[in-house]
Amino acid sequence: MLNKNIVKLGIPLAVGALALTGCANDSGSSGDTVKIAFQGPLSGDNVALGQNMERGIQLAIEQANAKGDLGVKLEYFPVDDQGLPEKATAAAQKAIDDTDVVALVGPAFSGATNSAAPLLGDAGLTAISPSATNPGLTEQGFKTFLRGVPNDNAQGAGMADYYAKKLKAKKVYLLDDKSDYGVGLAQVANDKLTAAGVEVVKKSVPAKTPDYSATAKDVVNSKADALIYAGYYQDAAPFAKKLAEAGYKGAAISGDGTNDMKFVELAGDASENWFLTCPCTDATVEASTKQFTEDYKKKFNVAPGTYSAEAYDLTNYVIQEVKRLGDKADRASIYDALAKGSYKGLTKEFSFDGKGELKISNIYLYQVKGGKIAYQGSIQELAGS
Amino acid sequence: MSLVEFWDYLVLGVVLGSIYAVIAIGYTLVYGVLQLINFAHSEVFMLGAYGGLIALTVVAPGNAPSGLASVGYVVLGLAAGAAFGALTAYGLEKVAYRPLRRRGSPRLIFLITAIGASFFLYNLAGKLFGRDPLPMPEAYENKKVLTVFGADLNVTQLLLLASAVVMMVGLDMVVNRTKLGSGIRAVSQDAEVAGLMGVDIDKVVSRTFVIGGLLGGAAGFLYGTFTQVKFDMGFIPGITAFAAAVVGGIGNIRGAMLGGLMLGIVETLTVPAFGGEWRHVGAFVVLIAVLMFRPTGILGERVGRTA
Repeated sequence: MLNKNIVKLGIPLAVGALALTGCANDSGSSGDTVKIAFQGPLSGDNVALGQNMERGIQLAIEQANAKGDLGVKLEYFPVDDQGLPEKATAAAQKAIDDTDVVALVGPAFSGATNSAAPLLGDAGLTAISPSATNPGLTEQGFKTFLRGVPNDNAQGAGMADYYAKKLKAKKVYLLDDKSDYGVGLAQVANDKLTAAGVEVVKKSVPAKTPDYSATAKDVVNSKADALIYAGYYQDAAPFAKKLAEAGYKGAAISGDGTNDMKFVELAGDASENWFLTCPCTDATVEASTKQFTEDYKKKFNVAPGTYSAEAYDLTNYVIQEVKRLGDKADRASIYDALAKGSYKGLTKEFSFDGKGELKISNIYLYQVKGGKIAYQGSIQELAGS
Repeated sequence: MSLVEFWDYLVLGVVLGSIYAVIAIGYTLVYGVLQLINFAHSEVFMLGAYGGLIALTVVAPGNAPSGLASVGYVVLGLAAGAAFGALTAYGLEKVAYRPLRRRGSPRLIFLITAIGASFFLYNLAGKLFGRDPLPMPEAYENKKVLTVFGADLNVTQLLLLASAVVMMVGLDMVVNRTKLGSGIRAVSQDAEVAGLMGVDIDKVVSRTFVIGGLLGGAAGFLYGTFTQVKFDMGFIPGITAFAAAVVGGIGNIRGAMLGGLMLGIVETLTVPAFGGEWRHVGAFVVLIAVLMFRPTGILGERVGRTA
């Protein structure tokens, strides 16, 4: 009997106590520490891309803390999903469970976003991604997903525009790698090119095909004068090599999955003159990001990489809202503020439509020249559209 | 597809097929003496590629040499690849298979061990050398050399073909003309009787692994110059070469060469005919078709008899 009474009394007491501590933590900014999470590949195959963003975020947080006008202390909270959809939910849950986390920058990859975003949405935790570009992500009604980067629709259209208007291509060979990213990108480019009256030969070769000799021959034999490769650098590089061997002389373009020095290293001379697009600007070239690049180099001893500046911008956007909301800053209010507000970052102006899609869709063109990836400028301006 | 284009693809197919053939020999040899599918052979191949890469990076960082120097580099790369492959294969036999053989474990256990060893090795390579692909240092300038029926052949392709032919002829001679070769043939025909006749079975098995490793490692280096070096590069060529060994008749060395060439050609010709996404489908349709009509493969099992 006695035991039962203790249990009867004890449970409500325990629950009440838990609820109280929960409340205290939920209000977040009333405490001393506010955490900003990052979800992306911090180990595994694509760790380099994750580190680019992580460093941007760390720099933004460090600078905000150094200024000391926030009233709270910001803390960086990394969760590692290895860029993999199957690890993304567990990673997101870690960020959700820590009630000091007010917003999450990421997830970095489209596949990972797809599996983690519903969970983050239910928890009311903002997922503001600097790099997940699959167009379908904003069509699924995720409650708290904001995309801080133009999607692949813009990139595919940019490639098509550039070929049709600037290079006046007659026949384009379009190859995708069968991944979500590659197929989506190729489809958009295909539609735009066909609409512009350009003949398109559309083919697929799955990623991780080590021997591209026959495909390269096929490109040459098709008599196409331009080529689009929709895939990642690990495959674009051997493909570029075989193309050069097969004697292909036309133009070649690939997207942000290939826009990495690794592509040039692997393909060597064969990568020369390849065009590369990216929704990202080159932080080391643009005037607006000069100071950022210096600070970044000073702290990490490397130059900023793809999406470093974008991650930095988005983190600063979150920090701006934390500061503005002050005591009222919690997960819900931060999401509202981010979704409805706007922020003039170093790379671009961030503001979102009703679906969480970035309003502007600038795509930038790069070209491999002399073994370097040289920044060319906005593709829309270059194509004259 | 015009006739000239057909020759183009055929040449590419023969080049790819000759690599498959050299790898397939590794599967077939081991199967011949142990009745074991050594699934870790694809990792022998992969580590051979890293061996060649390391040797070339240490000796010749920088630009492509020319003339005699490039011959030296190619020989060095081949030797280093072969050495790495042989070491890996030898180690595999010692660590993974010999203890099982001592205990007389059932065949299934060998198979599982082989797959486990394969996973272990490629993840180890990923940890040691990184998971990003690496370019093979250029040992020569890859120029067009000659034209066969309108199809261009460049240095890499000729090198691949020549090395593969030399390796295959050399192996054929070793197996058929030397004492070691008769040992291999004896053990593969009947290990027990061979043992009673005074053949040192352990020695023969371990040397068989080493021979397979030499060839697999050298093929790894060649394949690396042909594409790039990566920790999981062994998987697809390994599986294809295994299929080639089965098509030719597993256990049969000449069958493995024939099967390798066939799969390489079919795979390459599938690309212009049906598109790149069908390449492996084409190769495996051939595998199934052959096995339906000749379950022992085209040339059948006969590593035990003189060829």
